[in-house]
Amino acid sequence: MQENRMGTLGSHNPFVDVAAYLFLEDIGDKQGAAGMNNYLMSLATSLAKSMPKEEYSNWDDFLESLRKGESIISSFETVKCPTNLCVVTETCPFTRGWQEYTKRIGEFANIHKEVAEYYNATVKPGAVDSQCIIHQTFRKAAAERITVDGKRVRYAQIEAVTPNADDKRAPDEWLPILLDKAGLTETELNMTMRNNDCVWVLYTE
Amino acid sequence: MLDVALVSLIKNMSEKAGIEGAIQYWSRVGENLAKRIGEEAYMGWPSFNVALKEGRTAYSIEGDVTALTDLAITDVDGDVVGYIYALEECVFTPTIERIRYSVGEIPEADKAVAEEYNNTVQNTAVCNFCVIHQKYRSEVSKNITVENQPLECVQLANRGFRGDTKIAMRSLEKIGINPEYVRSLLRNYACVYGILMKGARLRGKDEVD
Repeated sequence: MQENRMGTLGSHNPFVDVAAYLFLEDIGDKQGAAGMNNYLMSLATSLAKSMPKEEYSNWDDFLESLRKGESIISSFETVKCPTNLCVVTETCPFTRGWQEYTKRIGEFANIHKEVAEYYNATVKPGAVDSQCIIHQTFRKAAAERITVDGKRVRYAQIEAVTPNADDKRAPDEWLPILLDKAGLTETELNMTMRNNDCVWVLYTE
Repeated sequence: MLDVALVSLIKNMSEKAGIEGAIQYWSRVGENLAKRIGEEAYMGWPSFNVALKEGRTAYSIEGDVTALTDLAITDVDGDVVGYIYALEECVFTPTIERIRYSVGEIPEADKAVAEEYNNTVQNTAVCNFCVIHQKYRSEVSKNITVENQPLECVQLANRGFRGDTKIAMRSLEKIGINPEYVRSLLRNYACVYGILMKGARLRGKDEVD
């Protein structure tokens, strides 16, 4: 797999990662899970909107760009595409930040999970913690900025596992539809999740 | 990803909370981080400097910090009461580079926040992020003791991503370090600060501001 330019800028600083989590916790302390959820979603949407729009003439070109990390939707993660519509994230891009947090601060604060419960109940069931809310909202907003053959790209979440091994799979009533769209069986999904962090699907309207 | 997302919010935050509000937000982040990191105690400066080199102190979260042991800060009696420390790379450089590729440009609000901080708090910021980590350093020093003495941290000089510099002349004067020497340190380091024993009787002055 080819690494994108962002990937080559692999250096990071623990300070920024940890400070960012504490910034979010500060919002959670003041505004509760509902306020924090709004903030996370607005943060991710604002990020996607600040990135340039994309248009592709066909799905293959889009997949190529996605795999290379040239598309905005894969700018922050290394992905592979086992089928034409299914996308797999090998390592959650928040893993490093989470590791720095747990190494330097301690156990991940509960508010990160509480906000995910709020998101799952009020927005869409797919998040394990606050990081998933940012990530999944970003993917949705980024997909809306991409067209393939004139059609807008859509995103749906299938399953995610966080660095501390908590897992969230799409609800039972949605799963067969999503798997059918992704071109995976449930067994294949289980196998994929053994060695990857997130499985999602992209399609056009 | 989280860091880039936060940067894209600076403009938003400045519009909603005002530039002053953004400064207060960042300061609180620095303060909270320092509180959550915990306390440390060292028998003397050598043990503190070794801990720093090995990445065991709260200051190590900022990346590779070099203790410039040739630049000891001494008090009126000539005793060593602290040292000068330097970061080779600004903590936000990786984030800024990622922003350049994913988003394109740093929001204008970045500069506005830094300018407001320079005018109202202390004239040491080259970008809005300086607010967070300068506050962090200053707060974290309160949680560390060397020879049972609490510490304080003073910002001395820093160089921004675009090459602009800030040199805290008054603080340098008080700890007795030649500003030109510190300026030359900026050729190889992005940020220079002093850590010293709180209340030390420095040459000419009682305490660093």
